[in-house]
Amino acid sequence: MSNFTIKEVLVEDGALRHSLTNQILQRLPGIPVQATKGVRSKASSNEMDMGKDTLHLVFYKGEFFKPCPGTREYMCCGYQILNVATNCPLNCSYCILQSYFNQPNLRVFVNLEEELKRVLHVIDSEPDRIFRVGTGEFTDSLAVDPITCWSDLLLPAFSKRKNVVLELKTKTTNIERVLDSKYRDRIIVSWSLNSPYIAAREEHGAASLKNRLKAARQCQSEGFVLGFHFDPLIPHPQWKQEYLKSLELMDKYIDPKRIIWISMGSFRYMPGLKQIIRRRHPKTCVLDGEFITGLDGKMRYFKPIRTDLYGFMRENMEKWHRDLGLYLCMESDDVWQMSMGWSPGSSAGLRGYLDRRVVEFFG
Amino acid sequence: MSIQENIMIPTQLVDVKNIDDSSGPYCMSFGFDLRPLIRSIDSIGLLNSPLLMKTVQERLNIITGYRRIKAIKTLKWDKIPCRILSESKLPPLECLLLNFHDNLSTRELNCVEKGMALSRLTAYLPDSEIIEHYMPLLDLPSHEDTLHLYIKIEKELEIEIKKNLAQGRLSLHAAKMLLEVDPDSRSSICRLISYLKFNINQQKQFIDYIVDISHISGKPVSDLLGEEPVKGVCSDEHLNIPQKGRAVLRFFRGRRFPSLTIAESTFKKMVAKLDLPDGVKIEFPRFFEAQHFRLEVCFKEGRELKEKIESLTRKEGLGNLGNPWGEGV
Repeated sequence: MSNFTIKEVLVEDGALRHSLTNQILQRLPGIPVQATKGVRSKASSNEMDMGKDTLHLVFYKGEFFKPCPGTREYMCCGYQILNVATNCPLNCSYCILQSYFNQPNLRVFVNLEEELKRVLHVIDSEPDRIFRVGTGEFTDSLAVDPITCWSDLLLPAFSKRKNVVLELKTKTTNIERVLDSKYRDRIIVSWSLNSPYIAAREEHGAASLKNRLKAARQCQSEGFVLGFHFDPLIPHPQWKQEYLKSLELMDKYIDPKRIIWISMGSFRYMPGLKQIIRRRHPKTCVLDGEFITGLDGKMRYFKPIRTDLYGFMRENMEKWHRDLGLYLCMESDDVWQMSMGWSPGSSAGLRGYLDRRVVEFFG
Repeated sequence: MSIQENIMIPTQLVDVKNIDDSSGPYCMSFGFDLRPLIRSIDSIGLLNSPLLMKTVQERLNIITGYRRIKAIKTLKWDKIPCRILSESKLPPLECLLLNFHDNLSTRELNCVEKGMALSRLTAYLPDSEIIEHYMPLLDLPSHEDTLHLYIKIEKELEIEIKKNLAQGRLSLHAAKMLLEVDPDSRSSICRLISYLKFNINQQKQFIDYIVDISHISGKPVSDLLGEEPVKGVCSDEHLNIPQKGRAVLRFFRGRRFPSLTIAESTFKKMVAKLDLPDGVKIEFPRFFEAQHFRLEVCFKEGRELKEKIESLTRKEGLGNLGNPWGEGV
């Protein structure tokens, strides 16, 4: 398990009767448990740690299945989020979750099992559509898997279906339960990667780059299809050499032929996140770049810096293997053209490109 | 007895020298201009007598009328008509609320004074009650974050910064940004903002640039502000204050956004070389982020438009106009 500990468990009223609550509590012997009536306000938690060592078991009344919050101004891949939890025990300095949610703590939704039936019904009701689903948008997919055992529930449910893939996206090495599962079909295990410099300096609590790739190799050798995400790419001193080190490590550990996709995105953030990052990570370098206000109101690197990052990465990844399913996350047509040499032209085009990758890999 | 009954007491003449005119626990006046009040009292006298409290040590503390007493001292009156309560008559919270409502009924509090009021209230009341009942009275949104911001303004900012804020030379947004900066840096920043008379938007940009540059370069803000280009601009007698302000902002913007600044100036040079007809402009999208440039043609009638379009089509360099960067910016 990664380098974090749960010091306290809060159980909301509505979560008490759920079997997942009992299972989780049994896996945390000796940890103080407190029943709570409602939601703890942000102020009552330590703003600096965001309650990262507090596991909050919640009966979630919101949406469990929703499209990734892309914006019209840039091309979006049409990913679907399976919302199993919010917040993350890791402490990456650039993480948008620092300003995204107004509630602290590692909030795990214990009514997932019931809600999953509804989600699967939605998926089954559109058999001709390919659903690319992931749990790694609002939390790390595997960071708390040893406690929640989501993979025991999710892998069989998604593996049985022919119009869906489930992507588990992580920066940890918590692959034990995934490997213990007998299900491989339509499951993608993905790692967020960065340069060794950024990984060591900014991705606090995450596994080292080498260990992530060792875990990926193990998953690959045991039959899983892999994905990778270079997001956020961050220019920093010697960034070209540093990112090349990551690619060299990938070459050392990974067979590129069984990679379904590698996404690239450059660091972007809502303006309000800047002060939070400065306060929580005073020594960070992630705010050093030339950020401009993007068409969606988020801060992002000045365009030639982005195209330089993507172009460099594409060129070098393609030297490794020509068919990696490279794509850009939330970028414009001209940035695609300048850095990738082609463009899907629209969000629908990007969705089609990734859906075809799914068909190629899983049929 | 109600507060109202407690304060319905006759006035008595009090020796000015016996009144403790330090700001005390109930005062919420800061950064005010005493001159209009002095003129008013001088011309028509004191209309509303201050309320004082006699402590067990026989001291006279001000509950309401801090500014009036200051004005009267300036006018060198010997005696002031006041109402005097004994300490046992009114608990501190009620004294504070008297002052609070006395101020609210006569004027609008500035940001620092709002911070003083809220900060004093937190000594006696839970945050939830202040947020719900008192922040709306101060025309503030009932948010916990806003409460904490105003309290921090009162407790953490240096007196010079508070003065600038109270007198409107520094915006609330800028004060909020300065709270995230170390005291030395914010004092240097505030001095320059005050000197250059930046508007709200310029203040925000300036703080943003200078704090970022300090983080990136590892240099203290005071060192950056003491560098030659800034000193040179500020001491240039040929520039007026707005020109100096714009020059300083331009300098720091160029330093914070070198690639963007170069791209903007390169594009402008590319357009200038085209020698466009009068009334024709080509502009780049904001930050070059959108994909289209903009052509603007001013004309009085179709014939003029046609001529300008024909002139444009003959411009040889027009076909090469595009993003002003190459590989590896």
